[in-house]
Amino acid sequence: MTLELRNISKSFPGVRALDDVSVTFKPGEVHALLGENGAGKSTLIKAICGIQRADQGTISLEGVPLNLSSLKDGMRHGITIVNQEIQVFSESSVAENIMIDKLEKYRSFGGISWKRLNADALEYLELVGLEIDPETPIGGLSAAQKQLVQIAKALSSKATVILFDEPTSSITANEVTKLFEVIEDLKAKGYTLIFVSHKLEEVLEICDQVTVLRDGRHVGTRCISELDKETIIELMIGRKIQIENFARLDTDPDDLVLKAKELSSKGLFENASFDLRRGEILGFYGLVGSGRTELAKTIIGHFPVSAGALSVHGRDVKIRSVADCIKVHNIGYVSENRKEDGLFLDFDIETNMTMAIWKKIQHPVTRAINMTEQRNVANGLMTALDVRATGIDQRVGNLSGGNQQKISIAKWLAANCDILIIDEPSVGVDIGAKAMIHKLIWDLAKVEKKSIILISSDMPEMISLASRILVFKEKRITGVVPGIAEPGQTYDTLSRGIGRLMA
Amino acid sequence: MFLTRLKSGKIITGAESGIIGAALILVILFTLSSDSFLTQYNLFNLTRTQSLYIFVALSQAVMLATGNMNLSVGAIAGLTAVIFGYSVDTLDLGWPLALLIALGVALLAGAFNGFVMTVLGVNSFIVSLSTLFIFTGFVYGISEGYSYREIPADFVRIGRGNFLGLPYLFYLMVGTLIAVWYMFRYTVFGRQVLATGSNLEAAKLSGINTGRIIMGANLLSAFFAGVGGLLWVSRLGSAQPAIGQNWLLISFAVAIIGGTALAGGRITAIGLFCGGLIMVLIKNGLILVQANVYFEQAFLGSIILLTILLDRAREVWSRKAGKS
Repeated sequence: MTLELRNISKSFPGVRALDDVSVTFKPGEVHALLGENGAGKSTLIKAICGIQRADQGTISLEGVPLNLSSLKDGMRHGITIVNQEIQVFSESSVAENIMIDKLEKYRSFGGISWKRLNADALEYLELVGLEIDPETPIGGLSAAQKQLVQIAKALSSKATVILFDEPTSSITANEVTKLFEVIEDLKAKGYTLIFVSHKLEEVLEICDQVTVLRDGRHVGTRCISELDKETIIELMIGRKIQIENFARLDTDPDDLVLKAKELSSKGLFENASFDLRRGEILGFYGLVGSGRTELAKTIIGHFPVSAGALSVHGRDVKIRSVADCIKVHNIGYVSENRKEDGLFLDFDIETNMTMAIWKKIQHPVTRAINMTEQRNVANGLMTALDVRATGIDQRVGNLSGGNQQKISIAKWLAANCDILIIDEPSVGVDIGAKAMIHKLIWDLAKVEKKSIILISSDMPEMISLASRILVFKEKRITGVVPGIAEPGQTYDTLSRGIGRLMA
Repeated sequence: MFLTRLKSGKIITGAESGIIGAALILVILFTLSSDSFLTQYNLFNLTRTQSLYIFVALSQAVMLATGNMNLSVGAIAGLTAVIFGYSVDTLDLGWPLALLIALGVALLAGAFNGFVMTVLGVNSFIVSLSTLFIFTGFVYGISEGYSYREIPADFVRIGRGNFLGLPYLFYLMVGTLIAVWYMFRYTVFGRQVLATGSNLEAAKLSGINTGRIIMGANLLSAFFAGVGGLLWVSRLGSAQPAIGQNWLLISFAVAIIGGTALAGGRITAIGLFCGGLIMVLIKNGLILVQANVYFEQAFLGSIILLTILLDRAREVWSRKAGKS
């Protein structure tokens, strides 16, 4: 069914989140909704599926105006969202998860007719190409499978408009292919599909129409055939960005800061051997679950070492705890999940930045943290990293993704870490901020001579930044490819090289 | 200068101003409606009870700040009181020595709670629910239900004496609250407690030894519970095994009314001060309006619920305002 938005506006105190946005989503099309963080995307999504009402404008389905008051209300009209955070009842079966909102339909003799419910669920599972027993508990499924279950649930609720909010952020490349097959199939069946993603390659691959928002305003809706990546980026940020070419980092192969020899942690990864040179950006490339983050968290003492040896600055070490790692070895870890385990969202910027140095700046007698010193450090880092905020006392939870990422990095700069492990630095960060973070990481290696381990599943990011790239597959390091600055290397040769190691 | 800092929320936060406002309104209401309210005798009594409540609340609030709880605070207080009574009465020890022994036992109890929580990794609710019974068992096992009455007069003076019309306990409370304020604002331990309560995983990855922090909070909680128990003995003039029995409600009520976040990460000394004041005023008020005392707990429970709802409303409101 055709979903039509007319002159949608929405304001929050101090911000005009949406300003007179009109878009038409047609059936049988995949329509991308793009924009930098803060462009108004999430507000528009919320308005479409009924989570939050717009101040002005109308939303109509097949010409019938809707006045949605809640997500449930939206679902009643056939509008459903498939989230990036996949929420399931992990103790229940797949079938029950699909039918959870329709259980009363399966009532018989005061109980539930499981036979009928499972049979119906199976039908929808087949629609999304998921070959599993509907009675399987959902807890054991992969993120991608759970997502397909979510789509099956949407279909079972007779949804006609399906919104995909960053559906590929936590699933592997193979699973993305599968998801896209399902989306193609739904498109052929005439569903109205809205696709929200930061990954432009995917948008170019799957979408038919692209709508771009910027600063709450509708910048334009174009057919995909008129667009390429550069044009989309231009529309999104309103200026042409140069794909930055970073120069070669000069490193000495004998000047090692970190060396791992056949390092293993039971069940997490095996036999990892590598070395990290001073002033180098060493890439860990691989899919989620391939062992790269696990290796990083073992290096910092979060997971135990079960075999092998680790040496820092040429000395064999045993890192017992994260505190030990920071204090003794000056290794900092910037988490891939900023919001979950990286930042203290309720606390201000100052506290988040200086947490790791409190012990260093406390008064020996009064035990008090030196507040002036703390303020100076935070202010210095704000300027150095160009953090956009009202001041160091702003709550971190209110900042944009890019600024939050800068603060996660700032914490370890404050602590004077000379080895930094940066995990997925640009997940959920808009394109402008992404380029800034890349520049920041590169400068840290080049100017500050920090030794950096960069973990990423974003191929362009990895290739443009890393001096050498270790490829991870199924809990092992399968090989290493050189950096793009080495003679004879191009983006294509490298991505093919990485592809071979991952196959 | 002071005014702008005050407005910026640096000295008194939004949450705190609400609590202070509520306490002020109650004080004004009582002053206007009752002639006996502002008498010296009444003020002495009110502030003395408030002081005791503050120690009770602190024992809970330091645990809440880490995102955990301690249901056994009352049992620890009872245990401390009974050990003290046993030492001075049955064993005839001097009261300073008895006090040290009793506080030592309190700390042991706290260390046990902390050990099971951090080393064995059991949820604080389960741990302290179990130890609530274990410690209470010791209280009655040792005392056999009897009170110890031979409490040295010097010790009793702490809970009954006054200076400039206000009880000694009041000064003790103010001093303690200043120390607590200082700890949570300026010391590494205090700040790490709040960080642990705000986001446990992030705290771990920031190199904070969260096990040690939670252990520290348990010791602190037991210490406040122990001190509270001893002050109660001093005020009553006898060490009764029933001391601490009504602490569960008081400890949560004053801590929550006083602006301590149930989910962890927030504690405020001035808020606790007002929380304690509000609690005594309400209890006092219920008597003044001649409410049926048998229903007292229902009133107090409703007030806790109301406070939580207000806090929740404030959270929702500030989230809405802060989002773009």
